[in-house]
Amino acid sequence: METYTYVNIFETKGLEYLLLISFLVLFVVLVRYLGAGREER
Amino acid sequence: MTSERIDGTSGARRLLRFLVSEMKPKGPLLTPFNLISIPVILLGIGILVVRFIYGLGSVTNLSQAYPWGLWIGFDVVTGVAFAGGAYVITFVVYVMRLEKYHPIVRATVLNGLLAYVFYAGALVLDLGRPWNVVNPIIGNSFGYNSVLFLVSWHFMLYMLTELLEFSPAVAEWLRWKKARRILSSLTLGAVIFGVTLSTLHQSGLGALFLMAKPKIHPLWYTEFIPVLFFVSSIYAGLSMIILEGTISHRVFRAQIDSKRHHKFDDMLLGLGKGAAITMFVYYFFKALVFLHDRQWNLLGDRWGAWYLVEVLGFVLVPCAMFTYAARSRRVGLLRTAAAMALVGILLNRMNISVIAFNWLSPVRYFPSWQEFVVTLTVVFTEIWVFRWIVLRMPVLREPHELPRAPELEARAAA
Repeated sequence: METYTYVNIFETKGLEYLLLISFLVLFVVLVRYLGAGREER
Repeated sequence: MTSERIDGTSGARRLLRFLVSEMKPKGPLLTPFNLISIPVILLGIGILVVRFIYGLGSVTNLSQAYPWGLWIGFDVVTGVAFAGGAYVITFVVYVMRLEKYHPIVRATVLNGLLAYVFYAGALVLDLGRPWNVVNPIIGNSFGYNSVLFLVSWHFMLYMLTELLEFSPAVAEWLRWKKARRILSSLTLGAVIFGVTLSTLHQSGLGALFLMAKPKIHPLWYTEFIPVLFFVSSIYAGLSMIILEGTISHRVFRAQIDSKRHHKFDDMLLGLGKGAAITMFVYYFFKALVFLHDRQWNLLGDRWGAWYLVEVLGFVLVPCAMFTYAARSRRVGLLRTAAAMALVGILLNRMNISVIAFNWLSPVRYFPSWQEFVVTLTVVFTEIWVFRWIVLRMPVLREPHELPRAPELEARAAA
């Protein structure tokens, strides 16, 4: 069975960068949201 | 000299008498769990006898096309992920110094130790020539290039490390004060060593599947399987602590003082926050792989639907549930989220090792009833041993028998 396939790693780079930036922003939001629970208020 | 020998002999006799007295059952015998588990364990032992006399083919549906089945997919690959709580909680308590979680360390380490002994031990059941299990250790065909070489050494070393981490409780049970002091002083080193081992063998279990690229469905195969296995083992471990801790606190209520009961919900909520953050990171990795491998092209058929059930239903949904439950302090919802996250881990591991494995093959594998019975036997036996230890050793209760260490006395006085 042929197992080798050529993958153009640059094809999805733009989307991956966008995902990374969104992740970082959402991660900060998530941590702040969790940190501001009822316990601390 | 003679008096020393007499002392030693009487000490050994006392220890033997103590151990014999501890063998007596504690608590009622006719409980629903006992009534269900005893027949299953006896049947499982019988099946294992047949398996070791007549071979794997006599009790399993394994074949040349499907050499790995339920015993590897559930017991080893999933069980080891569930045991991840031990390295996570020891890291949190001994390295990050979050003392709040100290009361659950021993139960978690014990659970992890038993999980490794029984689930990783179940690997022996699946070996066609089980006596060869010692080969990677004794140097007969080391196989340095094999991921299994790393996994087998790590399993062995990690079991010893967890035994060392748990050993102060054994020393307290036996009232060996000096041994307890020495063993306790080794804990931090053991924890650091154990965490290092865990990062490698949790990911190493994923690396086992890297060589099976043509066999695993492309929605589950990625060169990042090791990273995904490692990250998911963190939240699998945290979810297991939440679920197992909840059950232990109900079953062994008499062992725990009221102050600890009160603090327990706070601990669970803290663990839930950790699980939510880890699942979010895991989800990001999954999304990155999804984009990088352009997997949207594969979502159109039933494999795609099954993939979405796993990734949306049992990763994204429990992640959101953990987040909401931790924020609004809903412990019941947190427990449901933990159960769903564990189902997600089970699905993921079973998909990679069994369900989406050989996905193009016209012959499908489904475990035989004997495989299910043996799996239940492994789980029930582990619970029996866990219960035996918890009822005797200071795992959930405070060690009242021993005087406090001088530094703790000084701290308390200050």
